[in-house]
Amino acid sequence: MSVIEIENLVRLFGKAEAVNGLRLAVRPGCCYGFFGRNGAGKTTTIKCLLNLLRPTFGRIRVFGLDPSRDEVAIKSRLSYVPDAVAFYPWMTVRETLNYLASFRASWNWSKERELLDRFRLRADQGVSGLSKGQKMQLALIAAIAPEPELLVLDEPTSGLDPIVRREFIQTVIGAYQEGDPEHRTIFVSTHLISEFEGLIDEFTIIEQGRTVMSLEADAAREQFHRIRARFTDVPPALDFKEIVKANRDGREWEVVVRGNVQPVLDRMQACRPESLTREALSLEEIFMTALA
Amino acid sequence: MVFQVNFKSGLPVYLQLVDQIKAAAASGALRAGDALPSIRPLAEQLRVNRNTVAKAYTELEGQGVIETLPGKGCFVRENATPFRKEVRERLLSQAIDAALVQAHHLQVPADAFLELVQKRLKAFERQAQQNSNSPRSEKENV
Repeated sequence: MSVIEIENLVRLFGKAEAVNGLRLAVRPGCCYGFFGRNGAGKTTTIKCLLNLLRPTFGRIRVFGLDPSRDEVAIKSRLSYVPDAVAFYPWMTVRETLNYLASFRASWNWSKERELLDRFRLRADQGVSGLSKGQKMQLALIAAIAPEPELLVLDEPTSGLDPIVRREFIQTVIGAYQEGDPEHRTIFVSTHLISEFEGLIDEFTIIEQGRTVMSLEADAAREQFHRIRARFTDVPPALDFKEIVKANRDGREWEVVVRGNVQPVLDRMQACRPESLTREALSLEEIFMTALA
Repeated sequence: MVFQVNFKSGLPVYLQLVDQIKAAAASGALRAGDALPSIRPLAEQLRVNRNTVAKAYTELEGQGVIETLPGKGCFVRENATPFRKEVRERLLSQAIDAALVQAHHLQVPADAFLELVQKRLKAFERQAQQNSNSPRSEKENV
């Protein structure tokens, strides 16, 4: 059974369609990327999952339950980290974690300690003195320590320094899944896709509230290729439906192919190129291509 | 053992890991009984999802390259393929075909291709030789 199931979700704000016919399914144990530009409808979708917003239309199931009817049952099994986190400024790190732990059925203290150490957060520090990145680290520790079945992250790395954010998201996801990986699912929304390359098992690209593409990451990288070829003379004409983007510069072709790359390669090869290279697109480039 | 993944190769990341571990076992860089890194540290080192590493290990186990000892981890097995001769030959033919296609596109003629195969075989044998002669400090410590 899917951990998250969204069918034909529509959410209107007045006449504006924030989400318009979205569908996706997240299987257990998977790290699922929810990619879209700012304003594509990511946060609205997440708020509908948590019953912070009611859908205008459509069907949502989390753990097979309806968020508008079983809100507490769902929320007790997940952790949600919003894009901007806030804590009570008069509390220390220790007090904040104790306070948050008091709402939870279970709390893994050794995991909490491990992550505090790794992030070099001092327990007696006041939270008002924490940097933006440290506040996000604290929020993530609080999200992981209860060992929920689902971790929902909304833009967890935006606004953080580029060096730390990659390592830090890796650490968090590794720590979260350790123990019971088959039942620990991550749903992460982001527009900073390159940081999640390698971590994402499957993803959906959302644009103007609609699903543009849903694929497994490996399958996506097998499906999209870039070919660069330089010819001694005039480059051959290319007329393939698989070519989604083509740039010709003098004797060179640079094309992006979706689907079977072989016929395009064969055509180019037949014209005896001086050089010919092909590579898979990264997830970020696939995202750009999908939205072009 | 240092592994690398390349997201640009178009080959699924878990298969890249499978190939590298098999190559290491073939060249003697990994020997029967050697432990593979645990999933989480390796995933963190390679910046990939733990599922990817787990999938690679499952695949290697299915191919009889490694075995999992519950509570202890994954270990390289004695070279014993679980496949029958026909299956082995079919699998190998697929790999050779892929290399032949590549050779065609790189305009490498048949004789040069065969010569290269010989050269690579020798290189592997040399490396395996070196690996079996070199002392292994971690084993001596045990």
